[in-house]
Amino acid sequence: MNPKKLTIEKVQEALRKEKYICDRALATVVYLSIAMGKPVLLEGEAGVGKTEVAKVLAEVMETKLIRLQCYEGLDANTALYEWNYPKQMLRIKLEEVRRGDRDAVETEIFSEEYLVKRPLLEAIQTDGSTPPVLLIDEIDRADMEFEAFLLEVLSDFQITIPEIGTIRAKQRPYVFLTSNRTREIHDALKRRCLYHWIDYPTFDKEYEIVMTRFPHIREQLARHICAFMQQVRQMNFYKRPGVAETLDWASALLTLNRHELDEKTVEETMGCVFKYREDLHHLQEELVGKKLDLEHIMKEAAAHSA
Amino acid sequence: MEISDETIGRAVERFAPVRGQGTVANVLAFGRVLKELGVKIGLSQAMDASRALEFVDVARKGDFRAALSSNLISDKEELELFDRAFNAFWRTRRSGELSLETSDLPSLQPTEPEKDSTGSGENVEELLESLSSQEARGDEETQEIPIPTYSPSESLAKKDFSDLGIEESRAISRAILLIATKIATQVSRRKKRSVKGDEVDPRWTMRKNIKYGGEVIDLVTRKRRIKKTRVVLLCDVSGSMDCYSRFLIQFMYGLQNELWGVETFVFSTALSRITHLIRSKDIAGALERISNSVVGWSGGTNIGRSFAAFNREFAPTLVTHRTVVVIISDGWDRGDVTLLEREIRTLRRRCYKIIWLNPLLASENYEPLCKGMQAALPYLDVFLSVHNLNSLVTLGRTLQKMVA
Repeated sequence: MNPKKLTIEKVQEALRKEKYICDRALATVVYLSIAMGKPVLLEGEAGVGKTEVAKVLAEVMETKLIRLQCYEGLDANTALYEWNYPKQMLRIKLEEVRRGDRDAVETEIFSEEYLVKRPLLEAIQTDGSTPPVLLIDEIDRADMEFEAFLLEVLSDFQITIPEIGTIRAKQRPYVFLTSNRTREIHDALKRRCLYHWIDYPTFDKEYEIVMTRFPHIREQLARHICAFMQQVRQMNFYKRPGVAETLDWASALLTLNRHELDEKTVEETMGCVFKYREDLHHLQEELVGKKLDLEHIMKEAAAHSA
Repeated sequence: MEISDETIGRAVERFAPVRGQGTVANVLAFGRVLKELGVKIGLSQAMDASRALEFVDVARKGDFRAALSSNLISDKEELELFDRAFNAFWRTRRSGELSLETSDLPSLQPTEPEKDSTGSGENVEELLESLSSQEARGDEETQEIPIPTYSPSESLAKKDFSDLGIEESRAISRAILLIATKIATQVSRRKKRSVKGDEVDPRWTMRKNIKYGGEVIDLVTRKRRIKKTRVVLLCDVSGSMDCYSRFLIQFMYGLQNELWGVETFVFSTALSRITHLIRSKDIAGALERISNSVVGWSGGTNIGRSFAAFNREFAPTLVTHRTVVVIISDGWDRGDVTLLEREIRTLRRRCYKIIWLNPLLASENYEPLCKGMQAALPYLDVFLSVHNLNSLVTLGRTLQKMVA
């Protein structure tokens, strides 16, 4: 897709075609990020589809997705570049035997051929008709130092390698950062990004997502699933399930050929929705105690269809 | 957020004079309004926001709103406030329509065109200045403070734990966890070998490459290690401490799940070890289990006897010269004061630091007069209050310094 001819509607439509249902506000932010060349910072609970936005956008723009998964201790070497040290050593050994020119070897082993490119460098260097999508996933898991370093890269889109020189981006990649808010991101970094909070979907939106992903699912079952999820998210669980869990569950129910939710089915398949023993236990209690009433959920689902 | 509609209205009014002088001025004024309401906004964000408007159809309210909010706001907690301010600001006096352009100047203003234009320039400049100067200041502020990465609203930070609602206690729990995590990941000055370190460890590199005949093939690097300090918590759960102990245990729960080697005990008339009880994800359930299995929960207090039990049974294995002992109690003691003094002296000799946290310390006319507290006072390294979130932040900083 040509980035110059985009509109908000086109973004929304294109994402939908790739089976990503998003509301207009998110489409606006994605569109603005492309138009203004500003990175996007997506926050939201786990499993609401933050990472998916970047993946789908790469599909839509028919370009490469470069992903940098953050973790504690992630450093510039892993994110940017590294010299291929063993290869350099081998080359030196070889030249020793051949009695080659020392200066020539020295310049050669610090050339691009001996560089191991990591995601950030790759994103900057990629040239093609459209810029790549750079996904920096779970930035909140990286250390503060890395954040500061990232700030530098994202403000100039250039990287300096002492031995080679400064590499400037030929075209700005589309940058997406995601965060689960396990800690606050520094203001300086936030200021450079467009911010969007992805909330849990409404019933209608979630229903649409399920129907888009599983066109063969019975409408009634889909409605039950969504009503159940809406209800569960209102309750006090340690980890509230996201859309990812909804889709897992729907897929599991389809595989098992279940067409409606009864207590037994729910109990058997709850592992798709809750991933902590405490939460599973809690759910059982609520089911028995009728705080989570399946019949009531069915009624609510029916009300939605009306 | 406890900002009233009146406050928002007043803020909007204050910056009304600058309105109606073009989109840029309007957006800057709106940015100023948000700033007035406590949202951190820099000049660059305000400029970007007005730039973003070039790309969207400003007649569509939703798009217009998204363009502004994505540029101006960078925190979920501020979104609701943004919406309210947005609705108050971008509303003309006459209808619900958006007014972005100069067409409807406030009718109250004197209409002298020349003066008006110079005035507008000044106003815009003023706005620019106020935004940029505060931006610089904002930066300093954020860098100075090491711990509180989470900032709940002012009122929450100062509210006493004893009168919190359910929603508030959720917010507090979250803050507690963040502070605990921060303390837990202190970096030490000492280094350890690691696969992805910052610097080469020459000694180990030589050693490891002996097998290649001294040829350097594998590099061994090292980096700063994360310091592991032991913390032992002794928490008073007698009746007088009821409303506080829940939060303090939660704090230690946070620490325990992040830190290596935290041991947690509760005491009233007797001592119980609860480390294993709070090693689960479900804090509410854990608290319930604790109160069920602990003898004398919400009962009387015998600090001396409890400490004696600790010194005899647990201290030899748990407390070393690197252990920080944290005692949480109001010091009301019904037991033998000489015993208490003897035991805390013994403990002091064995551990690195003793921190005593007293929730009553905050009340203005409190003096540590009760005998138990007085007996213990000479042996304490730190005597702090813990009654609200701010005091926990202080505690966090103290622990951080101590651990480093």
